[in-house]
Amino acid sequence: MPFEEDPAYLSKSRLKSDLVAHNVALPPAASKKEIYVELHLKHIDQRNAADFSSDEEDLVPDVADREEDPDHTEIPDPRTLTDDELKAALLHHGVKAGPIVGTTRAVYEKKLKKLLQPDESGKVNGAEKAVVYSDSEEEEEEEVEEEEQKADGEEEVEESVCTESEKQTAEQTDLAKQESSQAKLPYQNGSFPYLQCFMPSSRLHARPTSNRESKSKWNSRNAVKSSERSRSRCKEIPVGISRASSVDQHSGLGSGVPSGSQSVMSNGCSSFSSQAFSITQMVKEMESRSLISSSTDADRELNVSNVQEHRSQPIRLQIADRMKNQSVYYTPQDSPHKWGAQPPQEPMKDIIKEIFPETGTTPTGIHATRRRPIKGAAQRPVQYGYPATPVSPATLERREMERRRVPIRIQILVFLIMACILYFIYVNLEDICVVLLDSLNQGFDSEDGYSLQAETEDTQVVSGQD
Amino acid sequence: MSSTSQKHKDFVAEPMGEKTVMALAGIGEVLGKRLEEKGFDKAYVVLGQFLVLKKDEELFRDWLKDTCGANVKQQGDCYGCLKEWCDAFL
Repeated sequence: MPFEEDPAYLSKSRLKSDLVAHNVALPPAASKKEIYVELHLKHIDQRNAADFSSDEEDLVPDVADREEDPDHTEIPDPRTLTDDELKAALLHHGVKAGPIVGTTRAVYEKKLKKLLQPDESGKVNGAEKAVVYSDSEEEEEEEVEEEEQKADGEEEVEESVCTESEKQTAEQTDLAKQESSQAKLPYQNGSFPYLQCFMPSSRLHARPTSNRESKSKWNSRNAVKSSERSRSRCKEIPVGISRASSVDQHSGLGSGVPSGSQSVMSNGCSSFSSQAFSITQMVKEMESRSLISSSTDADRELNVSNVQEHRSQPIRLQIADRMKNQSVYYTPQDSPHKWGAQPPQEPMKDIIKEIFPETGTTPTGIHATRRRPIKGAAQRPVQYGYPATPVSPATLERREMERRRVPIRIQILVFLIMACILYFIYVNLEDICVVLLDSLNQGFDSEDGYSLQAETEDTQVVSGQD
Repeated sequence: MSSTSQKHKDFVAEPMGEKTVMALAGIGEVLGKRLEEKGFDKAYVVLGQFLVLKKDEELFRDWLKDTCGANVKQQGDCYGCLKEWCDAFL
């Protein structure tokens, strides 16, 4: 990197923090700035010159260096960068950094670190898990291809696709690989040929199988070289090509699986792509889109299998085969010709595949799947809800009663109203009674009076007559 | 943010003035203490950090997490309230 900040221009606190960042013992607190500058020059600038500046520039384009000495350059420590360098590095990764000051520096360092890590992992085939296998596999394919001089570039594309997808599916690959060694064995022996759906390419037929082993060995030797190549290719390959090639890749993969050897596979791919592009291509393309990730798995399997195939004997393959999607679907081209034997078994695998579409693979080849839910009574949705707790008839009765009962408020209201009415009646009744009684009494009185009067009159009349 | 807390509304409603860092949404007593220990005693100091990180959510969240150990929700609250405040008053 071009800018080398002169430590003399840095502030004292800045120098101090830099020194701390570099794990350099600080001089006594009272010491002068010159001492800090000196230490800075001695420890930090040297280091920057040594591993940093060069590294920083190479970071993106040149992964090979990184690979060669991973320990050294694995993660260039952002802490050793100056503010400006840090900013430049971030810019390099497409991040527009704001001002890098004391409080923001840590944040940006972290960001840079984050940016660097995925970068590396992606290029070296990513996930740490896959590191062991990843590189050699891709290369093997390539090597074979080149060896045979088919070199249509399709293979390369194919591999590039593989690498990309591998990055994405790095986790799956491990399993697949382990599985693969077991799985491919049966194909080799020819015990499980697949029904051929597509036109096999002429090259496949012609291709002698004797070369396979030697080629695969050769491939493994050159694996390191090829890995770098493949990486570069990945970057360069345009999208359109890669997709078309992906189809080829799948077919190639499929073919490769049965043979168990790289050379066969590669041949199948290239030849197929060049010659047999037709309806089958479309079909495959459709399939390939959905199965790209899985295809990568198969790819790996193939590679791994090359190494292991010689040693291991095909025994428990059937189980393993079921689990692999790719091998099952794409085996067609090569298998019939090389081992054109028992078609019925393959379909069976397919069925099993269908039944257990999501089964994962295990390193041992023995896999346990989550028990699938029984599609019988157990899973049927409940149609009537039963009361959660059994209810005794008494409580049911009570509930029924409660439902019918008039709310207590209304009851009280009605009771009060009734009471009022009764009271009112009672009160009025008294008056009425009194009035009635009075009137009754008066009535009696007047009658009596009248009768008395009448009597008196009578008497008077009588007396008057007398 | 679908719903905002009362604290958020209070903070966003007016200029922050000399409010303490604990007035920020998502920053309670514990986080506030931690921030104060690191020199971020006022809300405007955190605002300064927020601005100097260019209002970048990811960076600000990272920073908040590193500085005071805020969890995701707290980060989101704090970021949201500063962001809204900035939209309103900056």
